[in-house]
Amino acid sequence: MEQVIANGLYLGAQYALIALGLTLIFALMNVLNFAHGQMYVLGGFVTYTVYGQLGLPFPVAVLCSGVTLAAVGAIIEKFLFGPVIKRSAREESTMLLAAAIAFFIDAIILLLFGEKQRGVPKIINGVFISDIIIMPYDRIAVGVVAAAMIAAFVLYMQYSRPGRAMRALAQDRVAAQLMGVNVDRYSMIGFALGAMLAGLVGGLLVSITGVNSGIGGPISIKAFLMVMIGGAGVVGGAIAGGFILGMMESVGLTLLRNFGDVTYLVIFVLLMIFLSIRPNGLMGKPWG
Amino acid sequence: MTTQQKIASAFAFLAVLLVGVPLLISATGRSDLYYTLTSVALLSIISAGVWLTFYIGRINIGQGAFALMGGYVSAILVTQYGVSFWLTLPIAGLLCAAASVLIGLPILRLRGVYFAMVTLTLSEVARLTALAVPITNGAKGIVNIPLPSRLTIFGITLIPDFATLANPRLAFYVTSVLLMALCYLALYRLVNSRIGRICQSLQQNEELASSIGVNISYIRILAFAISSFLGGIGGAMFAAITQSMYPSSFGVADSINFMLNCFLGGLGYVLGPMLGTFVLYFGWDLLFQTGVFQLLIYSSILIILMLVLPNGLLSIRLPRQKQS
Amino acid sequence: MPDILEISGLTKRFGGLVANNDISFTVKEREILSVIGPNGAGKSTLFKLIASFVSPTSGEVCFRGQRISGLAPHKVARMGVVRTFQETTIFKTMTVRDNVIIAHHLRSRANLAGFFFGTRTAQQDEAEFARSTDEIIDFLGLGAYRHELASNLPHGHLRALGIAIGLATNPQVLLLDEPFAGMNHEETRRAIEIVRGVRERGVTVLLVEHDMPAVMNISDRIVVLNFGQKIAEGTPQEIQENPTVIEAYLGAEDEALGI
Repeated sequence: MEQVIANGLYLGAQYALIALGLTLIFALMNVLNFAHGQMYVLGGFVTYTVYGQLGLPFPVAVLCSGVTLAAVGAIIEKFLFGPVIKRSAREESTMLLAAAIAFFIDAIILLLFGEKQRGVPKIINGVFISDIIIMPYDRIAVGVVAAAMIAAFVLYMQYSRPGRAMRALAQDRVAAQLMGVNVDRYSMIGFALGAMLAGLVGGLLVSITGVNSGIGGPISIKAFLMVMIGGAGVVGGAIAGGFILGMMESVGLTLLRNFGDVTYLVIFVLLMIFLSIRPNGLMGKPWG
Repeated sequence: MTTQQKIASAFAFLAVLLVGVPLLISATGRSDLYYTLTSVALLSIISAGVWLTFYIGRINIGQGAFALMGGYVSAILVTQYGVSFWLTLPIAGLLCAAASVLIGLPILRLRGVYFAMVTLTLSEVARLTALAVPITNGAKGIVNIPLPSRLTIFGITLIPDFATLANPRLAFYVTSVLLMALCYLALYRLVNSRIGRICQSLQQNEELASSIGVNISYIRILAFAISSFLGGIGGAMFAAITQSMYPSSFGVADSINFMLNCFLGGLGYVLGPMLGTFVLYFGWDLLFQTGVFQLLIYSSILIILMLVLPNGLLSIRLPRQKQS
Repeated sequence: MPDILEISGLTKRFGGLVANNDISFTVKEREILSVIGPNGAGKSTLFKLIASFVSPTSGEVCFRGQRISGLAPHKVARMGVVRTFQETTIFKTMTVRDNVIIAHHLRSRANLAGFFFGTRTAQQDEAEFARSTDEIIDFLGLGAYRHELASNLPHGHLRALGIAIGLATNPQVLLLDEPFAGMNHEETRRAIEIVRGVRERGVTVLLVEHDMPAVMNISDRIVVLNFGQKIAEGTPQEIQENPTVIEAYLGAEDEALGI
């Protein structure tokens, strides 16, 4: 029982980071970043290269992942999303662009790294054993780092100048513009930040679960699920969604083990029921 | 175009497809094209379903789930219960429609990106379910599905057993083209009838539509059910043609492609998905020559297309109809 | 004349804000009743409640003795209580004629399948809709714009189209939300004629308006709201002499004038 909770918490922290990135991008630009999972995978591969191949320290590798993805995110926003959003009145265009970008990053990852599953050496050896839970040290470390990043992100958004600008932008684009917020610049920063979060998680988790080119799509879907549960566009919602999904996965994997991999089917059915009652998720902005 | 002209063009088009193309293929010996064109026909049926959900103002990225479900329903009924394929075709469609009603009830009131998100997860969940549930045989899939058997009514053989045919590919091609023609005819009729107007009113202003007595939820669910029906029968035909069904047969990428087909062909035109499917499928096929770079080039072209033509292909061809 | 609409104890709360507070009045069949009040008095909310686009927190609305509050809006429209909208709400990409034709939806005897297959009933319906549409378009003076795209109509005619759409449903009660808004003298005069004409056709008219002269001219009775509550009810004469009303409006006018 406590084991299930511990696993859920650990998973939840990772997932929350992913969801935060996605929800930030959504809040700022009303864009569903289909490529979010692919960004996670890219982050994983960067860490794999820097830490696993080049032998540099793990924190450096994770930092590289973050920086790479921030750059990628900024470029994508400035040259792709920005123009398309301005030119097209339809929502479908940005969605299709996002899908095309996801395919594109998938293709690049395949070309650069191939299809094989990649892993890196453990960052901390050993396992924490107590009467109630068993948890490998590296998972604890990664979980703590993830939680710290979440806290840092929340503080940044709350108190820093860019953070406040972005929150203003998310709440009311026109009002923010009138108050002098440079919409273009902060859209780019926000997207870069969201991408960076995905990359950071990818870098962290490659040390535990490894990475391969095919998991990008499923991770995007998980991110969407979290955002739907918690509510789109709200920081608290993303964190809640992340932890809820992490917990449900942990519970599902333990309880439903005998019934095959129906965990996600169950989650989806529950989500359908949940959405009938609360279409905007737990804390979401009213949409639709 | 007058009605007579439209009917004449439709017949001409069908003649080209059903007579002209087979002649061309037997002349050039490219019988592999049968499979390609059959796929295009079926994929355009499935995409037409997505187009219909666009018509009521929703972005549907879940059609892959219904194609998958339709395919599996047909495969299971044929292999495990010995049901004639021709019967499984409508059954698959109806079961998908029923499932979509259940799913649609909670989610159809969501709009825009939110609705799209939910349908996207539906595509993935369908795949995971197919992997997990015993009846679908998991990752091994259902294979060796027999070819469609004879269809007789009152002792008269309407359709011969495909196994007895010298060229089953041609038979599948003809069947698929006819099915596609039927579906698009029905869709055209729907859109140009009162029902189409009602859907348009929904799309433009739901409150106003309510005030003139349109039962919004009902119409939306009806459209969604028809859309999933189309997905189901397309999937079922695919099961018959490929004689196999795997959890990966239709997934998220396919759902996105169906949406792309509609978008590229132009969301304002009934024939849009047909054109879009044709262009994208052949485009992808042509790129096969590039080997490992196929996906890269394909997605790059798509990105460029989005940058340059944010409103779809047909919107540039018929500028006089581009009012909105 | 019997009561066609009965509003009893209607209250609507949005969180902490009480938009409508315990409003009660009745509407007689075939009368023209106006609801007036300063800005923010709760008139729009009242309309939404009556047409059931919003559910009351408490209280109810009855149409010919049947409760309609809380029902789905399209059902209420079916029963004969139809609302037009405050903004110039029409179907923008359809022609004027199509806008009105499609509003005949409620009058169809054929069902959806019938329309798909083109059954005889459906064809009869379509013929009847066409006839009725042309009649309504002429009645509202929109004949010249028949095949024009609705979004191209000049402002005054957009209002007329909104009324046409409402009439097409063959309503028993028509709720007109600010029908004279943004109109000059001439346009208002024409619009008043139209509203009278609508009543001649047997429709009970409920309207929300700010244009006082027009309201006094056209109404049989008036209900006055202020701060979500009903403060007066009566004939135009009675309302004009009612001290509470004068104060409510004078106070508001002072603010508007900056005194």
